[in-house]
Amino acid sequence: MLHRIKNWLEIRIGLNEIIKTQFKEYRVPRDINIFYTLGFVAMAAFIMQAVTGFFLLVYYVPHSNHAFRSVQTIMTTVPYGWLFRMMHVVGSNLMVAVVFIHLSSVFFMGSYKKPREMTWIAGWLMLLLVLTFCLSGYLLPWSQLSYWATTIVTTMPTAFPYFGDSAAYIMRGGEYVSGITLNRFFAIHVAFLPLLFVSILGVHIFLVRRIGISSPPFGENAEMEWTEYRHESHSDGVPFYPHFVFREIFMVMIFVAIMFFIIAFMPTLFLPEDANTPADPFRTPAHIKPEWYFLAPYQMLKLIPNKFLGVAMQIIIVAVFILWPFLDTKKERNILKRRLLLSAFLISVAVWIILAIWGRYS
Amino acid sequence: MRHINKYSARLFFVFLLSLLATFVFSSLEGAEKYKEIFEKEFLAEPWAGEQIEKSSCIECHASDIMKPEFRNIPDEWKTSWHYENRVSCHDCHGGDPKDAAMAMSPQRDFAGAPKYSDVPEFCGKCHIGILKNYLESGHGKALRSKGTGPNCVTCHGSHKIQKASIDIINEGLCSKCHSYERAKTMKQALFLTEKKIREIEKDIKELKAGGVFTEEKEKNLFSTHAEFRTLFHAVDVSMVKERTDGFTDKLNLLEDKIQNTLNELGFRKNFSAFLMFIFIGLGVGIFLLSKTYKS
Repeated sequence: MLHRIKNWLEIRIGLNEIIKTQFKEYRVPRDINIFYTLGFVAMAAFIMQAVTGFFLLVYYVPHSNHAFRSVQTIMTTVPYGWLFRMMHVVGSNLMVAVVFIHLSSVFFMGSYKKPREMTWIAGWLMLLLVLTFCLSGYLLPWSQLSYWATTIVTTMPTAFPYFGDSAAYIMRGGEYVSGITLNRFFAIHVAFLPLLFVSILGVHIFLVRRIGISSPPFGENAEMEWTEYRHESHSDGVPFYPHFVFREIFMVMIFVAIMFFIIAFMPTLFLPEDANTPADPFRTPAHIKPEWYFLAPYQMLKLIPNKFLGVAMQIIIVAVFILWPFLDTKKERNILKRRLLLSAFLISVAVWIILAIWGRYS
Repeated sequence: MRHINKYSARLFFVFLLSLLATFVFSSLEGAEKYKEIFEKEFLAEPWAGEQIEKSSCIECHASDIMKPEFRNIPDEWKTSWHYENRVSCHDCHGGDPKDAAMAMSPQRDFAGAPKYSDVPEFCGKCHIGILKNYLESGHGKALRSKGTGPNCVTCHGSHKIQKASIDIINEGLCSKCHSYERAKTMKQALFLTEKKIREIEKDIKELKAGGVFTEEKEKNLFSTHAEFRTLFHAVDVSMVKERTDGFTDKLNLLEDKIQNTLNELGFRKNFSAFLMFIFIGLGVGIFLLSKTYKS
């Protein structure tokens, strides 16, 4: 049967040639490391989010009067609904972590440099989209945590003069977070963001395949000048399939195992008590905190004694990172040979971790 | 240093300077003013902490113009069970906390502090069942006939009211008016049911910590508990003993439901752990398979 399907496809689209050129003859550097698999892991995580999200969508009711109850129905009444929801919740957090590590490793290995500037920008746009996914999805359970965390985030645009209040008003659909906000976030979460994400993901994958995977900068590889387009073919490398594909699948298995470990042994890690209490616009919970990936910006905002300066600085920092390939034009890719850049990288990571921990416990 | 690109060096210094400026600026004395404005605008409203609706009752009672004996009332209330359950001044005393000028106007149903003998009706506006049983009890009858029997405040206090428990029945309190013997018999009759209620409360807490929405179970326990307390206020030992079985059955049913949910949590844990091991196994299998292609 499988053979007949393959044959059917071979006649019509030349399947064997696609497999040969795109998988077997497509080569990756011999000294490629495990960090190179994280892009694939992030993509697998996105697919898992889409699948589990679809099952949640079947039972979820996007209305402020019913949203919380419908989520509880998924957790208690729908057969294995709890599993899909927990996979969606834990998977989203792990996906953010994987994308963070992926971008950090790309930075560390200088893979953002010419000719891969567009790949880097597409990656950053996807990180921002993943965070927007998290933000919009966070409100949907209509719990105390989601309601007040969204109130915090939708207050941030008010830091800007002239258009800040209007921006917050448009996001919320009114003065306060309400059922209208829920509908807006729901529509963005399930219809707009997936389309945009898949489009940019397509561009990202196209660029990776078109240019070829970059070599790790730590070996003896001689860097070649990029004066015209060429595919970095790694003729002395190893075949993408099966060598690299197995490594990628292995890492996906590790990702899924970690996800089930958290669901089994730390089920409330991302769902504290306030995530389990219906939203009450008249009662602000004490010590409300954003999710871990927003803790560092949140703490920074608290430390900087002017809210416009705080929000503006964060936008500048993100802009600097996105445009980094154009700012760092030096050819040397090995960060270990660039002590100042290495220090900046390590300090940035350390500051981010310190701010996040500070934000969590302050 | 020859490896250092001049652009990245400049950017790095700008980055460091910005960070330094941010932290130095925030620690300057003059920045305090900005901090204050920032916190007021951005952290204090409406999501930075527990919000209490503006109340002229609290503002006035906490101010220096109030007589010292009334000044502690807001602080006492903030430690109370009423506060935790969002029962505010006007819920008992009437009036309009949002309008300082009319806060104590009879036109806004201001009742003020009740007379000693009116306290049961005052509290009974909400605690209806308890009022009925209390009025039929020896305590209520004594208050009605002589005006000297114990009222609600005698045992529960007023603004500092705590969550009631059978510990209220104690020798120190009861023997102020009569011997402790009869009260002790009552406490013994209540003990087992109260103990069960405590255990169920503990289980519900455990469920909550496990990420379960417990509203229905909490409501069920609350109504059973309230009904049981109502019964006690009749101060009739034989009646309590007679009806204890009914309460025990209700609590057992609730306990079964909680146990089922705890079992479900256990299943979820085991099932997720099983899936985890499956994927670890698959990972190991793929790793070993990849080794065969190493050459």
